[in-house]
Amino acid sequence: MAGTIRQIDESLPPGGAARRAAPFFLSPQGLVYGLILASVLVFVLWPILAVFLQSVIIDGRPSLAGYARLFTREAGLLWNSVFSSALATILSVGLATCVALYLAHTRLPGKRLVLGVLMLSIIAPPFVSSLVYIMLFGRRGLVTHQLLGLDINPYGWHGVVLMQTAGFTAMAALLILGVLHRVDRGLEHAANDLGASGPRVIIGVTLPLAAPGLLVAAIMVFIRALSDFGTPIIIGGRFTTLATQAYLNVVGLFDMPRAAAMSMVLLIPALAAFLLYRRVLGTTNVLGAAPGLERARDRIGLPAPTQWVLALCTWGFIGFEIGKYATILCGAFTRTWGLDFTPTLAHLQALTADRLGSFLRSLHYSVAAGAAGAVLGGVIAYVLERKRPPGGRILDFIADLPYIIPGPFFGIAYILAFHNPPLALTGTAFIVVANCVYRQLPVSIKAGMAALRQCRPETEAGARDLGARERHVVMDIVAPMMKPALLIAFINTFTSTMITIGAIIFLVSPDTKVLTVDMFGEIKRGRIGEAAVLANVIIVSVLAVNLLFSWLYLRKRKA
Amino acid sequence: MTRNRYWRLLLLLAAVMALLPDAALRAADKELNVIAAYNAKQDIFDAFSKATGIKVNQLDMSSGEVLARMRAEKGRPLADVWFGGGVDAFIAARKDGLLEPYISPEAAHIDAKYKDAEGYWTGISLVTVDFVVNTKILKERGIPVPETWEALTAPEFKGEISMSDPSISGTAYFTLYSVLAARGKEKGWEFFAKLAENIPFYAKRGSEPPQRAAMGESLVGLAPGLWPELQAQGYPIAYVFPKDGIPWWPAPVAIFKDAAHMEAAKALVDWALSRQGQELLKTKDPRFPTRADVAPPESLAGVDTSAFIPMDFLKAGEERAEVLKTWQERFAK
Repeated sequence: MAGTIRQIDESLPPGGAARRAAPFFLSPQGLVYGLILASVLVFVLWPILAVFLQSVIIDGRPSLAGYARLFTREAGLLWNSVFSSALATILSVGLATCVALYLAHTRLPGKRLVLGVLMLSIIAPPFVSSLVYIMLFGRRGLVTHQLLGLDINPYGWHGVVLMQTAGFTAMAALLILGVLHRVDRGLEHAANDLGASGPRVIIGVTLPLAAPGLLVAAIMVFIRALSDFGTPIIIGGRFTTLATQAYLNVVGLFDMPRAAAMSMVLLIPALAAFLLYRRVLGTTNVLGAAPGLERARDRIGLPAPTQWVLALCTWGFIGFEIGKYATILCGAFTRTWGLDFTPTLAHLQALTADRLGSFLRSLHYSVAAGAAGAVLGGVIAYVLERKRPPGGRILDFIADLPYIIPGPFFGIAYILAFHNPPLALTGTAFIVVANCVYRQLPVSIKAGMAALRQCRPETEAGARDLGARERHVVMDIVAPMMKPALLIAFINTFTSTMITIGAIIFLVSPDTKVLTVDMFGEIKRGRIGEAAVLANVIIVSVLAVNLLFSWLYLRKRKA
Repeated sequence: MTRNRYWRLLLLLAAVMALLPDAALRAADKELNVIAAYNAKQDIFDAFSKATGIKVNQLDMSSGEVLARMRAEKGRPLADVWFGGGVDAFIAARKDGLLEPYISPEAAHIDAKYKDAEGYWTGISLVTVDFVVNTKILKERGIPVPETWEALTAPEFKGEISMSDPSISGTAYFTLYSVLAARGKEKGWEFFAKLAENIPFYAKRGSEPPQRAAMGESLVGLAPGLWPELQAQGYPIAYVFPKDGIPWWPAPVAIFKDAAHMEAAKALVDWALSRQGQELLKTKDPRFPTRADVAPPESLAGVDTSAFIPMDFLKAGEERAEVLKTWQERFAK
């Protein structure tokens, strides 16, 4: 009954909730849902507001002085950020498209390896990649100087752009691959049969059909690049960006208002890109796709030169990534990183009892964050998608904000927001976990919504009509349907909590520190071998958990 | 059904991990939380734990981060003890009322210029600025090891001197200020203008210049105290204390106001200032001890202490804005 009404009038929310909306949100379940939604306001909106307040109130008086400077004398910073991010976006989406085409449209070998390396690339702890870059391609770099005998200067905007390109290509390639798989091969064959050559079909048919996916990938890379503060610190040379300066203003100059103003200005291009993203995402389903391989046999053939170009780009990138991980692995077991390759176990002294404590804490917080992220993301997705509460769209937008904010900004926001009663949370383990959960919540919610959209709400309505209570509907019908989404939310939040540093560096205390913080400390003290050991511990443990879960996921799909 | 068993096991595991209180992961009755910026700090605190039975949780944090966080949190103590770092941050923290005064009985053995008169902070060792030079590349190019500040202005060091941005790094500011103080403002700036010719860019982290020198990315890195770690890692470096003026400052220890473990905190301060503590500190991180009755470590034995640049740390703090303004106008790049 409810189903027929909905088919006629799309604007009516499913499940007949519209008629019962007001009383439902006063029922016990409704209150629980309401509280979970309200937590987004407390843990996302309020911290961001706290940063904004910090930026406009200087010495107790309202002032826009911080902003005035940023738009006049220091407008170059904003330009630097936008310029380098845009360039990195173009390069990495271009490269990612080649990699994705290689996987989806050729019959060349080594695809499993490529896909594996792409997945691995997502779990690189920060800072380590930049150090590897200097070691391999620096002025005295292993590749550039010692092998090729070049004397080049990698420091500057070009270094930052290259590093960001390398860093974000894997993410973009996985997104684009998901979209390419869904391009209708019938259309490609039709164009091919009508006489269009392979490359023409790719350029004229495949890529335009995949355009929304390419655009989403581009926007996500752009936003990530804008908020990347670490790369310019290590290889920027004279070049610096807003995100970097905001971070340095806090840790170097203790100038919180100025850092706050910089972070707010950085939101302008990020928000613009993000609004575009939401428009595009409305018409496409990118995040719901689990990356995988399918047989390219049914795809049209490509001429050899095109295949060669794709292979060159792909293997160039994969070679670089393998070199990076090999270097990190070598660094842990050779005497001096990049200079003396005598094998040694000496760096393993980094694994002290204190470190073991940090590692256990990392695992503990990450599992807790993953579980909380899966539950919160699932419930919020369910409420937004099925109950359609008033203000749901705005709430969804707010929940997305942490995604576009630089890590340090979100960390500082938490200090500013949660040091006063009744929300005096600074110094606790809770604030560290909450920060990681809410930072990854956009992905958790998106995955949940994508899963729900693939299921018919009639099943739930049917159960309700048969007398099932809300909690039975949720536990017995919705939760099983959302299992893959919950899994994605868990693994994504877990992984990012294990490798994050930017936000939590401001939130940890001596008794709540995690392994990435220890690793960062070793890098600061120049103990690169020890840092490499800790990086390996992080990479291996994250990889193990990821493999365990994808094994479970694949088993489930096969069953 | 077996599939479900895996799921349940995993869910159970996740739930246990998630709900396990954090306290269960540590099991010491006597604890101390320390923010430390010191080489080999784990060894140092292990020795302290052995001597006193107090377990130390330590976190490496730069002085700037400590100040920024405590100001943002309106004075909530980040930990119990603040161990090492730039004296400027300790002076600023005292001004902000973030520190607890404590005059350790051991402090009587420490010269007045290494400690705060009212006991808000006490120096545990002296930080001295050295040149970390890459000996391998120097030899390749046939350049002698630079032993003075003047030597660094020679044309063969063009683009090869690495220094941190003094507006970001406290150590770089002190280095700059010392160079000015040793020569007088006018001559000091003149000299710095010559030095700046050879600095390609100012690094964004205080600890970066010596690491750059170690990796061969520059010939000389200016920053204190990283050479022991770099040497231990096997990098081809030497450390040089400039004959025409060594910038230095005390690395203090202080107790945070409202520290949760006050007695244990005092025990750490006493231990770090004691003869036994100072003897241990200098073997783990070779710096000049602040106690007169403890000899400098062997690796610093040949250093001419008369080259220490006389410093007024309060004045250095007061003139900071002015000095940085001049620096920014003339040299920021």
